[in-house]
Amino acid sequence: MLMNCLKNGRLALLRQIRTQSTAAATATTVNAANEPEEISVIEQRILEHPDYFQVHNLFTVRDLFNARVHYGHKEGSLDDRMRPYIYGSRLGHLIFDLDKTAAHLRDALNFTAHIAFRDGIICFFNRNALNAHLVEKKAMEAGEFSHTRFWRGGIFTNSNVQFGAVTRLPDLCIFLNTQNNVLSQHTAVRDCAKMAIPTVGIVDTNCNPNLITYPVPGNDDSPASVELYCELFKSAILRGKQKRREVLGEPEPVNNTKNSSRRRNKVSN
Amino acid sequence: MAQSRLEKIGTIFTRVSGLLRSGAMKPEDKPLWYEVYAAFPPKLEPRFDRPAPQIPIRNIFYEEDQVRAKFHKSQKQTEMVSLFDRQRKTQTQQFIQIYQGLKSQGALDEEKIFETSLDLLQEQRAQMKLDAQQISTTDSDEGSTQSLSEAFSEAKDSSDSKATATSATTSPSPTKGDSKSKIGGINIENLFKD
Repeated sequence: MLMNCLKNGRLALLRQIRTQSTAAATATTVNAANEPEEISVIEQRILEHPDYFQVHNLFTVRDLFNARVHYGHKEGSLDDRMRPYIYGSRLGHLIFDLDKTAAHLRDALNFTAHIAFRDGIICFFNRNALNAHLVEKKAMEAGEFSHTRFWRGGIFTNSNVQFGAVTRLPDLCIFLNTQNNVLSQHTAVRDCAKMAIPTVGIVDTNCNPNLITYPVPGNDDSPASVELYCELFKSAILRGKQKRREVLGEPEPVNNTKNSSRRRNKVSN
Repeated sequence: MAQSRLEKIGTIFTRVSGLLRSGAMKPEDKPLWYEVYAAFPPKLEPRFDRPAPQIPIRNIFYEEDQVRAKFHKSQKQTEMVSLFDRQRKTQTQQFIQIYQGLKSQGALDEEKIFETSLDLLQEQRAQMKLDAQQISTTDSDEGSTQSLSEAFSEAKDSSDSKATATSATTSPSPTKGDSKSKIGGINIENLFKD
């Protein structure tokens, strides 16, 4: 909440600067009444567009196929809630319906881009040690956050005590793998639902998609597929941020590390 | 801050909507994602208690699976396949291609087609092996002649400045390096081709 206020404060500051620069042209009173609505009006307007950030052209079904997204686990480990997303079973191995995967992935990317446009904090999650470094690197490149280690209970639900200060939680959590291991679900999935944080998650055939707000059925084990997902979410986030900068007339960041350090400062405030 | 942590009841959207409607959460405290969710709701409500649908899993089979199984049963598979190579066809793929080609001509019965396509496959594989060997031998021949001529020219150059005895010792060394890919008369690259 504090961060919400801070963010509003920062926006108000920006608006002030903008009103000052345009004050010479028009009456100040009119500007003061009009300007504060500007960003929220734009945010409302772009919601009417079905695909404002053009996320549909980020990938094709062929790309998904080449990245081995269609491979599921064996039939025995199937979670019944994943049945609608499965195309069939090839000699005991489940195969995803990539048309459905593509539709779900486009929804998820669109949502991610909108959150990035609204300057939300996005956190990547992954508990697969093989892909941990890749996910951390891509999150950093997008100027966002990641958590790929053991999840200490209460990071979200008891954050103010754990961190010793009022903490702004992420506005969107992206799970590149929703399981801790083959048996148990990542605790953060439940905690996000508790704290009313929307989630995007890659759900394999042995996962439970119910609590994930935007589930994307697909293979969450192969490094090739995880790299594709990371790349897609990264570019969706960068598109959202780019549009925001265009709208607000902010300069381009010099590099990504600088951008992320700006965000870090903001959180520590 | 007003909040509902009962993740098993409703969805994050319905819980926040309820708080907003009752006035427990002020409109300015509305979460950032709320309007985006309202504009682009997920395909299925993310409810904890959403029941699992009763959809049977169908088996994926192709028409050629029968003849593929027969082929695999008939002989031991000794082929090494590179999974990164998308251009080269595996032995089974070649066999099925030949089989389907013969079947579309439609003159023979199934058993005959199977046998003739086995023979044709063997021929094709032998031809491919021969081609690969020829290419590799011509390559290595060219290589050795080149290196030999180079060695001779080197020897000629060096003979001007140095004694002929030293140049004679240097000349065999490049040919030795060239035959490194061949160990005991077997080209290693050829081994992996089939």
